[in-house]
Amino acid sequence: MASRRTPLQVTLSVWKALLLREALTRLFSQRASWFWLVAEPMAHIAIMSVLFTVIRQRTVGNMDAELWLVLGLTGFFLFRRAAIQGGAGISSNRSLFVYRQITPVDAVLVRSVIELLVMVLVMIIAFTALLMFGIDITPYDPIGAVVAFLGLWFLGVGFGLILSVAAELVPELGSVIKMMMRPVYLLSGVIIPLSAIPEPYRSYLMYNPVSNGLEAMRAAFSEFYHEVPSTSLSYVYICALFMIVVGLMGHRVFRREIIAK
Amino acid sequence: MIVAENVFKRYRLDHGVGDWVLKDANFKIPRGVNVGLVGKNGAGKSTLLRMIAGVDEPTRGSITRDCSVSWPMGIGSGLQGSLTGRQNMRFVARIYDRADDMDEIAAFLEDFSELGKALDEPVKTYSTGMRARLQFGLSLAFRFDVYISDEMTAVGDKPFRQKAKAEFKKMVDRGSLIMVSHGERTLKDFCEAGILLHEGKAYWFDKLSDALKEYHKGIGIAAKRRKAVR
Repeated sequence: MASRRTPLQVTLSVWKALLLREALTRLFSQRASWFWLVAEPMAHIAIMSVLFTVIRQRTVGNMDAELWLVLGLTGFFLFRRAAIQGGAGISSNRSLFVYRQITPVDAVLVRSVIELLVMVLVMIIAFTALLMFGIDITPYDPIGAVVAFLGLWFLGVGFGLILSVAAELVPELGSVIKMMMRPVYLLSGVIIPLSAIPEPYRSYLMYNPVSNGLEAMRAAFSEFYHEVPSTSLSYVYICALFMIVVGLMGHRVFRREIIAK
Repeated sequence: MIVAENVFKRYRLDHGVGDWVLKDANFKIPRGVNVGLVGKNGAGKSTLLRMIAGVDEPTRGSITRDCSVSWPMGIGSGLQGSLTGRQNMRFVARIYDRADDMDEIAAFLEDFSELGKALDEPVKTYSTGMRARLQFGLSLAFRFDVYISDEMTAVGDKPFRQKAKAEFKKMVDRGSLIMVSHGERTLKDFCEAGILLHEGKAYWFDKLSDALKEYHKGIGIAAKRRKAVR
């Protein structure tokens, strides 16, 4: 080899290589897996929208129920997919750690980026569908919406980092955390409006950073949306930052145990 | 030059900390010397290879390298089954920041591996020997100072082994080999020096045949001991 590369150069080339490789395997590992990647969340959104608007109600907190749902579901999927896919990043990339340039953190982070890209695509398709149904999707505060969306992603990244280490060290813990994801779906205000829940229970549910992220995203879309009053985007970012730091520390501290498995 | 100083290594097992695999191992591997690692199953040969390659770290002590070292080539490691041989090659080239030389690498790999059309098939359809050809060809395409092989050459067929050997002879002063193999013929074919791993310690031998002799002696002693117990 000609000259020594700096650690940053090495990491950047690893990320690029991993990104392309993960994208390839996600898109083409099975027949038409590229179709299901987008079709699965879209089907979920479509079924929920039909159930909600035909049977229940037309608006939630002064916002079109369809838009309310699409924002909630895409935002939540973004968090969950980044967390679960990132969390499985180590075990499914084990064969790659023979290249000393590739660290387990790289695998987890790159997977989260792939999920971000997929969910942006899903969101574009869902918004296009809403437009075609004549629903106004113009965000009232576009930057706020993007910040909230990214906040949910950072939460997923942090959760995925912690989950990936935990699942390696204590496999049982991995299953328990994955099991916890199901109630989180119901308790985050994805399909149940949190503003309709009486106090003091609503305050308890607002300790969940995902609820805050979803409400902030909806509030950014419509000036007249009645979000839960205590919604705080800074809380989302503080939680995300905390989880990312803990996750990175876990990767650092347990690097030998993770690699040696 | 690769220097191992007071290398201790043990793994964390499900029920606590395991025994020492390596216990105060010390050795120096000079530049350009092909070395064979000899020892019983579980003596720590693969562990040591992984640490020389920088994949794993010693629990205590240090291993320093002042040369470029390949990844540890082993059966089925480092290849993604669902991707084709060529896609795997592109991946490795990108890790090593050699995407610009992709054509050159591909040409070498095609010539060396002789995989032909199979190079564009998913790696999971490959036989063990084909995987070995792909891995060996890949690592040779990147021109490391030291190549690390864990039981790789043993799985190839005879023409492939001869080819690998010829390739190593060709770059005798720029690339050397550190290998583990249970085939003594293979070891003798490739290596001059030897390291014997025994009870966590590493013993350096300038001549591989001495290392093998000592290794057999150890087995002999153990067999005698077993007989005596009976």
